[in-house]
Formats: sequence, structure tokens, C-alpha cells
Amino acid sequence: MKAIEVTNLKKSFGAFQAVRDASFMADSGEVLGLLGPNGAGKSTTISMLSGLLMPTGGDASIMGHSVTKDPEAAKKSLGVVPQDVALYPDLSARENLVFWGKMYGLRGAGLSSRVDEVLEIIGLTDRQKDHVGRFSGGMKRRVNIGAALLHKPDVVIMDEPTVGIDPQSRRHILDNVKELNQQGMTVLYTTHYMEEAAELSHHIAIMDKGRVIAYGTHDALIKMIGEQTRIDLTLNAEAEKVLDAWRAIEGVAGIDATDGKVTALVDDSNRVLPRLFDAASKANVRITSVGIQEPNLETVFLHLTGRALRD
Amino acid sequence: MKIIDIAFKDLTRSFRSAFAIGMMVVAPLMLTGLIYFAFGSMTSGDVSMTAIKVGVVNADQLPPESVLDAPIGDNIRSMFFDESVESWITASDYPDETSARTAVDRQEIGVAVMIPQNFTERYLSGEQDVQVLIVSDPTLSIGPAVVEDMVTMMVDAVAGGGVAIQTVMERLEANGIQPDSSQFPSWIERYGNWYRDFQRDLFHHPDKAALVLVAPPAGDAQTTAPLAQMMGLTMAGQMIFFAFFTGGNSMMSILREEEEGTLARLFTTPTSRTSILTGKFMAVFLTVILQGLVLMVAGRLAFGIQWGSPGSVVLALIAQVVAASGLGILLISFVKSTKQGGPVLGGGLTILGMLGGLFTMNIPGGMPEAFNAIGNFIPQGWVLKGWRLALDGAAAGELLLPFMVTVAMGIVMFSIGVVMFRRRFA
Repeated sequence: MKAIEVTNLKKSFGAFQAVRDASFMADSGEVLGLLGPNGAGKSTTISMLSGLLMPTGGDASIMGHSVTKDPEAAKKSLGVVPQDVALYPDLSARENLVFWGKMYGLRGAGLSSRVDEVLEIIGLTDRQKDHVGRFSGGMKRRVNIGAALLHKPDVVIMDEPTVGIDPQSRRHILDNVKELNQQGMTVLYTTHYMEEAAELSHHIAIMDKGRVIAYGTHDALIKMIGEQTRIDLTLNAEAEKVLDAWRAIEGVAGIDATDGKVTALVDDSNRVLPRLFDAASKANVRITSVGIQEPNLETVFLHLTGRALRD
Repeated sequence: MKIIDIAFKDLTRSFRSAFAIGMMVVAPLMLTGLIYFAFGSMTSGDVSMTAIKVGVVNADQLPPESVLDAPIGDNIRSMFFDESVESWITASDYPDETSARTAVDRQEIGVAVMIPQNFTERYLSGEQDVQVLIVSDPTLSIGPAVVEDMVTMMVDAVAGGGVAIQTVMERLEANGIQPDSSQFPSWIERYGNWYRDFQRDLFHHPDKAALVLVAPPAGDAQTTAPLAQMMGLTMAGQMIFFAFFTGGNSMMSILREEEEGTLARLFTTPTSRTSILTGKFMAVFLTVILQGLVLMVAGRLAFGIQWGSPGSVVLALIAQVVAASGLGILLISFVKSTKQGGPVLGGGLTILGMLGGLFTMNIPGGMPEAFNAIGNFIPQGWVLKGWRLALDGAAAGELLLPFMVTVAMGIVMFSIGVVMFRRRFA
């Protein structure tokens, strides 16, 4: 049985199609990274999986329970960590966890001991009586995650849990995810940080404009683009002056210009880089900085969409 | 069980909010307290007044061969030195008009009463322009008026004594009896004593006075102390106004949860939306009930308010809770955000409260009929009717009409609100 199975999932808001025939799956005990730029449809997909939105078409299941036909059973197997902190600021960390535990059906001594365990996991045992409103952003995020773990769900969905927090808290959260996964939980982790997806995920689904444009392991996705290297260039003039000339160079697989920065995907950087300089020189454009990056998920996205992931 | 958990969580949050506590309990008690301190001494009958300082110049003398034992001026003077007025009149003698006027100018005394020489002789001889001169501090109004009334009263008493002697003499002569003029002084003295005692009793012990004024019996409400009656209505008005505000503010927690993201998170748990909404509604009802109970106990302890018989109070409170919760849920169901909610609750409930008569219930003579008629279409107006009856000591049966109307209004508003919320969070 698949822990998560998404089949031709669709969601429209009026004429706008936010998710178009999305399909992917995750086996029990794995981390599935859902990677894509802002507006790719990741949060809408997650909202459908967690029962907040009803799909327009297709279906999804959590531990074999359809989110459309048996949503209550699906929710019992699921813990959801929202993108924004969703806690009661005027309740203490412990009071928050107790309340959310009750919403998942926990009661009495079992609830109390589980809250103790979760406080230990998120490293806030000594601050459990403080109101969440007085916590730092990172600490709030940790309680936010803890509230989804109380009922020991089979599947945890984490929607960009590291957005806007300090590096120390980010590291703590990533370590938490790994630890939970080692305990057997299936994690669906959405992010637009490709490093996080690469570090955590067994499988990665890349979304863009409502579609899943690639799905596979990290290595398999990298292999899709062969040995292509990414070159980042900064110019002293508008990129349009030289962009067409660069596209015509043999070995340039893709090129994209955003905010004065140019990102090129090339087959052999040693061979192509001098030609890029030549073409720039002929167009009276000066290259002010150059960065060369070995193939990674961002390169994959650029290869697939012609746009950088940061777009 | 989850319904109770959600309601309890909302209650906990409400009672941890300084704003909510302020609007639920502190504000109505403070406003009622302000009115209590502003009007309390005026309506309690415990009037404390600065003593009137009176200076008396008594130059009157008994004319030769007078039938009187003492000049009338002595009677006027003694009136200001009588022990029955010593708590509010401080009198002192002055030797002449000049010294008395100087004392008034220096504000050592507020009023100077100057009885001229030969006042008795001239008064008894029937002179028209015989005068007692009263000079007062121009900045005072009550003191001089009181003193003038007292002098007039005493002069009238003397005139009354004259009329009494004249009548006695006529009756004796009509019966063929020759009056003994040597008895006149004792008759006048007896009349004077009777009149003085009568005035004293009329002022200090009206129930023991020779002449007792009897007014037609008033209704029950009017027989209670005026302060207690006014404070009861004032407290009820404040309680109703803030109960409706609390109903709306408590329901606004659903908007706060929507903005905080916790409502969406609740929807991701295996908790039905019906349970979530029911829990929120239950929190509104419980909050308004608790608020009402706290205010009633506080009103009883702080202002001595007698809320009425237990049955009437229960009906009035239930009606208030149903109407306040219903209107709160209805209003918030139309509101998109907490930013909208503040003005809607503040403005809407203030207008409805005014139209319902919550701020005008103590105006003497009441409001125009047209205004009172508007209150029949306002939930607050009907809740007030219920509390007014309860405070007047009405039996529970007499509250049935306002109770049923208010509860019906509350149920209709609640039902519309529930439908709106269910559509919104379907």
C-alpha cells in the first residue's frame, strides 16, 4: 500500500487551473519532496490532500483512504504542518499541544505523556509553560511541527516549514524531519529550496504551473539533464543585447535572464564559456561576474522549464 | 467531547484577553459606578449641605404695656438658634446693622437678618411698611432663600396668633363672656409654642406632625429607594449593552482563528466542521452567561441592586443570553475580517442599544412614544423590558411575553448566522 497516492488531481478556481492532472506517490517510510517555485500549485495540492479543498477532478489517498470518499479516515492518518504558524499565541506551548492532541482524539494520561514526548522532540520541554506568542519565530515553527506529530501519524505533510527562520532553527527542523522519517513516518515535504529537497527526499516531484513536470529520485532527475553545467553571469548592460547571440552558441542547452542575472545551461563549460565572453565582447556587453555550478535540481528545473527555480 | 474542548479553549482565550475582560466586566461596572457616584448622593436622601451662616441683629423691644411677654424680634432670632436647625444653620448675634453688613461683605456670614427697633410695636399696630431686612452674599442663592422663608413663616405665625386671639375674643363675646385681657399673653404663647412645634415636626418628623400629608400610594417600583431603582436599571442597561458586545466579540474568535490559520488547521484534523462550529457557538453562549452572572453578583455587592425574584431573573438572563449570542453570531456571519468586525460591532451595537433604550431608560418622564415603539423591533429593547419587569419585582409569569419574544428573535438570528457560517466553511 502506498502511503500517499495522487492520481490525476485537478483543482480549478473559476477559469484558473491551479493544479492540472497532478500524479505522484510515496511509499511508506520515505520522504517525498515536492519542489517548485511560488505559485506552482504545491500548496493547493497539499490543501486537497489535507482535506481543506475538495478536488475538481482526480483523487488522492492517504494510507489507502481516499481524501474525497473517506476524508475522516485519511485525516486520522495525517499530520499537517501549515506553511504559516497556526497556533494560539495566548496559550502556552503545552496548552497548544494538549488542545491539538485532543482534536486528534487523544485523552488523559496518554495525551499527557505524548505531549511530554513531543516537547522533547522539538526541544522545548523547558519552555512548555510559556505562551507561544512570546516565542521566537524558530521556536513557534517547532511547536507548529510538534502539533502535527501528537497522534503519531503515518504521514506528515510539511508545507515549507523553514520559510523565514534563522539557520539554527532551520537546521533543527531538518534534523527533526530526518528523525521522524527514521522512526517510520512518511513525510511529504514541500519547499522551493532545492538544497532542502535534495538533502531530505528519497523521491522528488517537481511542480510548475499546476503540473508535475518531473518525478523521481534525486539522482534520476539529475541524469535527465546529463552532464549539463549551470553558469550564472552578471552583466553591466541589459541581457537582451547579447541573449540571442548566446542562444546560438553550440553547447548552450538553455538560457534565462532575470533581474540582470543570466543563467545558462551548457554541455561543457570549458568549451562554451570563452564563446560566451566573445559574443558579449562583440555586443559591447561586459561580464562582471561568473559562477559555475555542477548539475543539481535547480539545473533540472531550468532544463525542464527554461526558467530558473527562483522565478 | 471535542465540542467542549473547543468551547473551553475559546473561553480560556477570552478570559486571558485584557480587552475582552475589560469589555465584558470592567467597562459596565465602571460606567455604572460613575453614574452611582455622580447621582448617588442626590437620590439616596442622605443630603449633606454646607451650614448656612446667619447673623442676626435684633434691635426690637417690647412696647410699653404690651400684652406680649417678649418682642416678636426675639422669636425670629430664637428660630435661628433653635437646636432643631443647628445642623444646617450656624447663627450669631451682631450688635448693629453696620457690623452685620461688614460680616456679609467679608463673607464671614452668608445672610444677615436685621430686625428693626420697635418692630413689634409697629407690626401689631398694623403698619404696612414694617420690614425685617435681609442682606445676603450675592454669590449665594439657597441660603438666603431659606432664611427668607423662615422669617416669613415666623411673621405669618405671629399674624396667625393675632387672628386666633381675635377669633377667640369674638366667640367669647358672642357667648356673653367678657374676655380677660390678662390671659392674652398666655394664649399667644400657647399658640406660638404649638406653631413652633408643628413646624419643627413637619420638617423633622413629618409622620408625627399635627398635620400629616398623605399622597396616593405609588406602584411597587416607586416605593423602592430611588437610588436602588435607578442603579438597577442603569446596571441592567450596561449589562445588556455589553452582553451583546460580548456575544459578537466572542463569535469574532472564528475570524481571528481564520486569520491566525488555526481554523484551517482545525479543518485538517479528524473533527467535523459541525463540531467545530458548535464548539464556537457554545463558547459564545457560555461567555455571555458567565458575564451576566458576574455582573449580577458584582451589581448586588457594589450597588445593592435587587435583581428580582429567582424565576424572573432566570428568564431575563436566558433571554439576554439567547438574544446576545444570536445577534453576535448573525452580525459576525456577514463580516469578512476582524478589521471589519470592530466597527460593525462597535457601531452596530451602539445604534441598536440606543434604539433599544439602553441609554435612556432613566430619563425622567421617559422618551417619546415613537421612540419607545422602535424598541419593539430591537432585541435589546425586549431584553430591557424583561429586566425592567424583574427589577420591579414582577413574577416570572409576567416576564413570559418579553422572554418569548426575545428568545424567538435570538433563535431566528442564530439560525440565519449558522446557515451563513455553514455556507462559508462548507
